[in-house]
Amino acid sequence: MLDPVLLIALPLLTAFLVPLVRRAWRPLGEALPLLTLLFDLALAISYVPRALEKPIVVIIAGWRPPLGINLTIGPLGIFMAVMILFVAVLVAIYSIWYIRVEPKERYCMLCLMLVTGSLGMVLTGDIFNLFVFMEITSISAYALTAFIRDRDGSEAAFKYLIIGSLASNFFLLGVVLIYSSTGTLNMADLAAKMPSVDPRIAVPAVILMVVGLGVESEMFPLNGWAPDAYSMAPTPIGAVFGAIVVKGAVYALARMLYTIFNFQGVIHFLVIMGIVTLLMGEMAALRQRQIKRMLAFSSIGQMGLILVALGLGTAGGLVAALFHMLNHALLKALLFLTAGYLVYHSGSKEIADMDGMGRRVPLLAVAFSIGAFGIMGLPPLNGFWSKFLVISETVKAHYVAIAALALVGSVIEAVYYLRVVGRLFFKPADERVRAARLPVSAFVSLGLLVVAVVVIGLYPGWVMHVLQPAAHELLDKSFYIHSVLGP
Amino acid sequence: MVYYVAALSLILIGTYAVLTKKNIVKIVLGLSIAETGVNLLLITIGYVKGRTAPIFSDPSFRPEKMVDPVPQALVLTAIVIGLAVTALALAIVIRLYDHHKTLNIEKIRQLKW
Repeated sequence: MLDPVLLIALPLLTAFLVPLVRRAWRPLGEALPLLTLLFDLALAISYVPRALEKPIVVIIAGWRPPLGINLTIGPLGIFMAVMILFVAVLVAIYSIWYIRVEPKERYCMLCLMLVTGSLGMVLTGDIFNLFVFMEITSISAYALTAFIRDRDGSEAAFKYLIIGSLASNFFLLGVVLIYSSTGTLNMADLAAKMPSVDPRIAVPAVILMVVGLGVESEMFPLNGWAPDAYSMAPTPIGAVFGAIVVKGAVYALARMLYTIFNFQGVIHFLVIMGIVTLLMGEMAALRQRQIKRMLAFSSIGQMGLILVALGLGTAGGLVAALFHMLNHALLKALLFLTAGYLVYHSGSKEIADMDGMGRRVPLLAVAFSIGAFGIMGLPPLNGFWSKFLVISETVKAHYVAIAALALVGSVIEAVYYLRVVGRLFFKPADERVRAARLPVSAFVSLGLLVVAVVVIGLYPGWVMHVLQPAAHELLDKSFYIHSVLGP
Repeated sequence: MVYYVAALSLILIGTYAVLTKKNIVKIVLGLSIAETGVNLLLITIGYVKGRTAPIFSDPSFRPEKMVDPVPQALVLTAIVIGLAVTALALAIVIRLYDHHKTLNIEKIRQLKW
């Protein structure tokens, strides 16, 4: 039985080993990040049965909670960790061939740091620790945005950095306010003490925290960084943003709102913000002419749908939200990774230049179409189930108008995705684009993603088995408190 | 009390600078000032009048005579994070200046919705 701390410590260690090992023996240096992430994924999967049974509480340095920092690996945390690591492994496989720009070890380092940070965010049981891991995640994300040393990359990174660090300042301010009135930083202890806190302090604290996390989770007025960062970063990083960074922030948001504060008003506020985010994202995506910007706006739209489901405050709504998070992570990773090679082969970021790619690189176009159909919610694929669940739960919670607006958003989404798919297959190809074969690394990672998308679509019950305890963990505050602090 | 006022005004001054200044170096400065404000607030919350630093340098020091050590540990971490953010921001500023030959944020607008 290995120590669960390794889940976080191992990528952190490897991040700093990579440059050294690369200097000593290059092939090992190339393979090291992938090997570490694979091992981490296996480790995370091995904890799933135990975490489902009873949350694993890891005590660090012998200080029992609420005094020391602890990790709380419950059903929700382990679900998020497996999702993050699965996408990270696929991106690592994909990057072996895709990232040719030197210095590659910096890219590997930053990616591993980002994975470390987001794993820490989803596994930690301490609110200040959450802040630290959030900063590790976002600082590596800023640096990755500027990884290609061109003009627009630095501009996007600067924008992201300013918005992101101002937001994390607000989050820290929220932490300070809570600490001043409860004298504790442990999440379970906070959850237990929260009902007795003066609302004049608790309400500003929750607002500051929602603003702080809203930036990273692409909530509506705070998501100006997203399209630039997604489209200017190297393409696999777009997949990482959509599947890892944003999902970690949404997890933190759900943890704050459900476990710690549990203010009904603020939770329902998410429904409104979610639907506005959804419509703004989808409408902006419709206008885009560059494929990566379109995917970025589509990602904002999907985050809106997840926020709507999170804000319902029912068990069904939470299951739907978590399920859609998983599906969106897989589908957006698939779309971004295929878009990377579509851009590479057509030599342009414009959608208009992708005409006829379906004849030149058929596998790529098929993979893109599967991703597009999945995110639109066509039945045999995974996106159908989660979208269906979100909308039916919204209706069940008596938000019929919101459900109708979400359907409108889905229609807009179908329009712009079908436009791209139509161009890929039914337009004559440009003479300059030659038929090409995919490198093995891209083939493996895209193949695994397509398999995951189809299998979850055919057997959604397997995932539900994990999601229900995870949603229960969020809804049942006292269960979380007792499993950390003891009865 | 005076520390609370100082901390809050630092946060507000920093945020104001980030939101209104046109020079990107001044924006980074504003970010730093806001961070300092949060750190000062954190220290102030843990401070109890007339007590000493929580270091057992002399056996006669008792825990009752010391201030809350947790905020000080938090502030150390927050300072390090702030340093990393500022360093990265300045590195990006240098690169932006190399590409655009200006520090005026209004002239750096290649990316729009």
